[in-house]
Amino acid sequence: MGTLISRHWSTLSSGLLCSAPLFILLGLGFFGPLALVVLYSVQPRGSFSPFGTPTLENYIDIIEQTFYLSFGWSLLLAIISTAILLLICYPLALTIKRHSGTVANILTLLVIAPLFVAENIRLQGWVLFFDKSGFLDGGLNYLFGFGPGSLVNNVPAIVFGMVYVYLPFMLFPILLGLSNVPADVREAALDLGASRWRIFRDIEIPLAMPGILIGSLLCFVISLGAFSEAKFLGKGVIVTIAQDIESAFTFGQNWPRGSALAVLLIILAGTAVFLAMRRIDLNKMLGSR
Amino acid sequence: MELRGVDKYFGDLAAVNQINLAFQEGEFFTLVGPSGSGKTTLLRMLAGMDKPTRGDILLRGERINDRPANWRPTCMVFQSLALFPHMTVGGNVEYPLKCRGTPPAERKERASRCLELSHLPISYYDRPVTTCSGGERQRVALARALAFDPEILFFDEPLSAIDYRLRKTLEKEIKDIQRETGKTFVYITHSLEEAMVMSDRIGVMRDGGLAQIGTPHEIYSSPVNRFVSEFMGEVNSIAVTPGQDGKLWCASLGASITPPSPLDASFKQGTLMIRPENMRLVDADEAADTNVFSGELFNEYVLGSRIQYQIRINDDTFLVERLRESGSPESGEQIRFGWSAEDSMLFPE
Amino acid sequence: MTDSVLFRRLARSYLAFILVLMYVPMLIVALASTSKSRFFVFPVRRYDMKWYENTFSSLQIHDGFLTSLTVAFCVALISVVLALFGALAYARHDWRGKSFFQQILLVPVFFPQSVLGLALQLWFNSFGVVMSWQATVFAQLVWIAPIVTLIMAIQAFGYDASVEEAAGDLGASRWQIFRDITIPLLGPGIFSGFMFAVLLSWGNFPLAYFTSGADVTIPEWLYGKMIGGYTPMVPAVGFLSVLAGALALGIGFSLQALLARRKNR
Repeated sequence: MGTLISRHWSTLSSGLLCSAPLFILLGLGFFGPLALVVLYSVQPRGSFSPFGTPTLENYIDIIEQTFYLSFGWSLLLAIISTAILLLICYPLALTIKRHSGTVANILTLLVIAPLFVAENIRLQGWVLFFDKSGFLDGGLNYLFGFGPGSLVNNVPAIVFGMVYVYLPFMLFPILLGLSNVPADVREAALDLGASRWRIFRDIEIPLAMPGILIGSLLCFVISLGAFSEAKFLGKGVIVTIAQDIESAFTFGQNWPRGSALAVLLIILAGTAVFLAMRRIDLNKMLGSR
Repeated sequence: MELRGVDKYFGDLAAVNQINLAFQEGEFFTLVGPSGSGKTTLLRMLAGMDKPTRGDILLRGERINDRPANWRPTCMVFQSLALFPHMTVGGNVEYPLKCRGTPPAERKERASRCLELSHLPISYYDRPVTTCSGGERQRVALARALAFDPEILFFDEPLSAIDYRLRKTLEKEIKDIQRETGKTFVYITHSLEEAMVMSDRIGVMRDGGLAQIGTPHEIYSSPVNRFVSEFMGEVNSIAVTPGQDGKLWCASLGASITPPSPLDASFKQGTLMIRPENMRLVDADEAADTNVFSGELFNEYVLGSRIQYQIRINDDTFLVERLRESGSPESGEQIRFGWSAEDSMLFPE
Repeated sequence: MTDSVLFRRLARSYLAFILVLMYVPMLIVALASTSKSRFFVFPVRRYDMKWYENTFSSLQIHDGFLTSLTVAFCVALISVVLALFGALAYARHDWRGKSFFQQILLVPVFFPQSVLGLALQLWFNSFGVVMSWQATVFAQLVWIAPIVTLIMAIQAFGYDASVEEAAGDLGASRWQIFRDITIPLLGPGIFSGFMFAVLLSWGNFPLAYFTSGADVTIPEWLYGKMIGGYTPMVPAVGFLSVLAGALALGIGFSLQALLARRKNR
């Protein structure tokens, strides 16, 4: 009788107990700050206190001034990079999966490892590669006497940077998704008469979809907040919304405006997350029986 | 379908070694053998999932080694069933027809007929396959395999993970379907009972080769060697050498034994094997024939409708099986048992 | 499935190409750090290791390195503890708020870091908390702890709960079960979670930038120099930072392999 009660008690509150510290962390570190941001977004321009009279002037400002440009750019860049990443990472994931388990793990690790190097450093490497007299230009000049000059300072360079930095974020979920496609189901489809294309369309994509969705979502949302690529590879040719938010907070000394911009960005990202997440069962994806 | 001189090597390991085998149209052929004997490898080559390292696979005389699995008139039922988890029952069964461009109305009609054949209610058509029980999924797998009317069906231990009663039911159903449709079934199982009940012919595999091919009766009563004999069921083995008067001599029993048939002149030593059900208990007062011995009954096992007695003589144990009847002997008693010479099998070494 | 040789070769070269591409920038950075001239020109005219000398003697770099290390270590330690319980809540126990918890936990991960950093700056400000490396630890925890929890949850999903029940049946107390069964079985997850956290924190920029105030981590130092005051010390520091990360990974894996071997003996 005693064990019965304690087990019942254990099912009830063990989960709650275990998750409590994380809940607290998220409350204090995430939802709290975000709520504060929302609060600030409705404060009068330039005020530094969250307790003034609520007003919508910041949002009106945003619409009136040219902030929609940076929003537009961020959105466009995010969509383009996510699309490119999908096209790049899917075949990559398939190729990795062809190898045996241990080899596949090592390969995955190799592709993901650069993630741990600060994005500054990695982007700097590409700047040195593409810039005037850099590796590409200088090398070609040395070998052939002419070079393409500076390949940075433009939008494609920014997209390249984003694709490069966020590649592991797309690869890893797609790999997870593909592991939900059992080899014997593939073989059975082949045996029943399916062509390669059919197997891809009817079997692989539907079963790997959760991974594909998560990867795309992750890349989209993170690239909305892209910051360094535009600064280093684009050298300021366009301004992303994250940069606008930052300058509102620092140079602009306009916290409410920065907050309003942030809120809009959060709404954008949040909608994407919400739409995609309803279709995914995380339990199954991460491997519960 | 025929295999000629087929080898399959994985690196240095010969999984399948010089197999020559022909299937008749419309037969139920079962492959049995211990784990690792190459049964699944063989099946996969027949189905087109793997290619033989050497040798030919022929269909009606035509070489089909290079034809991929989706181009062969065959279908395989996997051990794991490999049902499409994201589709409904109907979706699964319809799939091969969809791949062949069959119009939707016809697909549904043919798929429904297959469901009927597999004893699944039509109401299951739109059910997600993940909600089906183990037995139901077996039937879905069967229906799916039949949907596009393949000539040959391959089964890789499909019933190994089900409980006894369901298994018996499905065994009968599979056999009925085979008889009704007249298709060729090539079946792998590690259950001997299943093989004996369902097959027209059985192939016993060992270490990548075929030890014997024959009807269930042939394999059981006239096994070609010790391995097949032991594999097909429990059997009593006695080591024997040539004795006097054309009889056999058994050192451990210290007695003469009448062989099943006249001894070959070249016979030096071998094993005599008798199935437990061919042994019988001999009453104490019955006349002592040859091949009758006396030992201590030390165990008995009830096997459903039959009883198996374990009798010990010195260090050897003999198994005697018979139908349950009243008047069971007591444990510890001295018991007489024996067999008729023609029921035994002699395997020279 | 049987595939043509051409297809296989194409696939493999694609993989190789991408792999090389991932590491090119770091190689360039290494190269740039050895150039004598102030600005990077390829081919390098004169090689010199003086930038490395500068790096090693710079006090700023020393401080930055120490800060990065301390932050990474604290973040990893706390993350692992939080994640251990979190993973159990995520995967093992069945409780009412479970799916809510699972979804909520992911939100900080799927979130633009720069916005989070700024929000935290606001937040700390209103509480009068001074920007420092401790603030950065907190900030990184918000992002990294959920990731570590996910990693450990993957491990926890493969966990057979009946083992715990068996232990209880044999007479172990809840604490003993936790200590002798749960933690060892989750061991690999704990280990990889820790490594992941260290590396993610070590290389993190956006969160550190907005919350560390006077304390400067290595990525922040790099950023500052890259905007204004570029010298080849930047790639030198960058390359050393990469080496440090790789070293940590290497140590981590060898430790893991060592422990595994010791267990099997």
